[in-house]
Parts: sequence; structure tokens; C-alpha cells
Amino acid sequence: MSVPTEYYVVLSAVLFGLGAVGVVTRRSAIMVFLSVELMLNAANLAMVAYARHWSITGGTHALQGQGAVFIVLAVAAAEVAVGLGILVAIFRNRASTDVDELSEVRA
Amino acid sequence: MIGFFVIAAFAVAGAIMVVTARQPIHAALALVATLLAVAVAYITLDAHFLAAIQVIVYAGAIMVLFLFVIMLLNVERQPLAARWSWLRPTAYGVGLLALVAVAAVVIDQRRALPEAAVVAEVLQGGSAERIGTILFSDYLLAFHLVAVLLLTGIIGAVSLVQRAAAPERPAAAGASEPVAAEGEPA
Repeated sequence: MSVPTEYYVVLSAVLFGLGAVGVVTRRSAIMVFLSVELMLNAANLAMVAYARHWSITGGTHALQGQGAVFIVLAVAAAEVAVGLGILVAIFRNRASTDVDELSEVRA
Repeated sequence: MIGFFVIAAFAVAGAIMVVTARQPIHAALALVATLLAVAVAYITLDAHFLAAIQVIVYAGAIMVLFLFVIMLLNVERQPLAARWSWLRPTAYGVGLLALVAVAAVVIDQRRALPEAAVVAEVLQGGSAERIGTILFSDYLLAFHLVAVLLLTGIIGAVSLVQRAAAPERPAAAGASEPVAAEGEPA
């Protein structure tokens, strides 16, 4: 028998919650990045799960969920490239990636 | 059903390690485990092309980039303690609350899954052909925008990393040397 969609969505919620906790509690910027990747994957998992559920409507609606996951993957790749570039630039200037210390913008 | 719980256990264990590991390398490798578990979950959801892409692009390319940067930056062990003592329990509490809320709504609003035959016929295993058809029809605009975004990302990453290195050592210095030199005093 196939696993119900709710199970996948709850798993996705667990992963998303853990990722959100990581973003808030970790101090190193690279760990914050890893947690963001976790959250993106949780969202992707929910979309793929609902894509299977929506195949009840027949047409191509169901596959739109999987297409969206493809777009999210590409956006995540671009985000990682630019984000890690910013991280390297920050580390060169300050020899640290502690996000709590990056508060120059605050007046 | 048993298979799903095995996948879920792997994914959640990896995610917990990502959030709690002291060494960034350990966290990155734990994230690879989670990504592979999610890829297996994609296969069980009739999304075979996405599972392959997940392994190649995410667990392969993106995580290698992460590992390179972690090694390049030589990040010291971070103290786990957050800046404020109330932050950690509050974060876990809010995360748990959000999880319970999502689970309650999903389980309360659950509907019957379509027949396996219907799923197989509509999704056709999530093959590259079907995904491509969607990308070049419904998601045509998003597809083009992503192409522009990727080009912008490449140029942005190169210029971000290059600008800091160029003025200091103009001629023979490799890209990684200024970083190592500046990283040592820390």
C-alpha cells in the first residue's frame, strides 16, 4: 500500500522546523546556510508529495508541483553560489563568520 | 510503509545533526545524508527525475561547494551557546509549535489518496520528458528567469570573490593564499 500524503508533509514539517531552529540558534554563517538548505529541501518534499496527491485531477496540474521543485533547485544553486561568495568576502575582511557580530548596518 | 519510516528516520537524524553538530564539516556531511534520504523519498513519490537531480545537483555539486568553502575558511569551532540564553529554548519551542500546527491541519484535512494506477498514469514516474514538457509550457517564464538568475549568480560570485583578492597581491598569488594568510591570526 502507498504511504499517505500526510506522512510526507509531516516529515517535511519536521525538517523545516529543524532548519528554522538551526537558522535562529547557530552563530556561524555557514551553519545558517546549511539550515536554509534544509528548509528548502523540506519545502521541495512537500511539493513533490502534493504533486502525487493532485494526480487525481488528471491533467498536467499534478506535474506542476514537480516542475516547481526543479525551479526551486536552480534558485537554490544560484543562492548558494552567491551566498558563499559573500561569505568568503566577509571572512577576508573580518576573519570571522559570526552573524551576531555583523551589526555595522545598525545605527 | 516500513520503508517510509526508515527514510524518515534517516532524514530527521541527519537534520538533527545539522542543527546540533559542533564541527561544520560534520553538519555538512549530515546534510548530505538528509538530502539522500529525501532523494529516496522522491523515488517513492514517483519523481524519478527529481531524485536523480537531487543526488547530482544537491548532494553532489552544492554540497561539494559547501565543503570547499568550509575548508577554505578554516572555520574554528563555534561556541554552541547563543547570544541570549532564552533564545535556544524559545527557538525549539516555536519550532515544535509550528510542527504540531502543520501536523494538526494536515491530518485534520486529509483526503484519500488517488488510486495507484491513476498516479502512475498521470505522473508517468516523473520522467525527464514529462518535467520538460511542464517546464517549456506552464513554467516557460520562470525557466527563462532562472536562466538569467543563474548567469547573474555566476557573475556575482566571481566578482565578489575576485574584488577582495585583486588589490592585495596583483601578480602571482593564487586565489586561496590571501585567505589563508588572513585566516591565521584568528
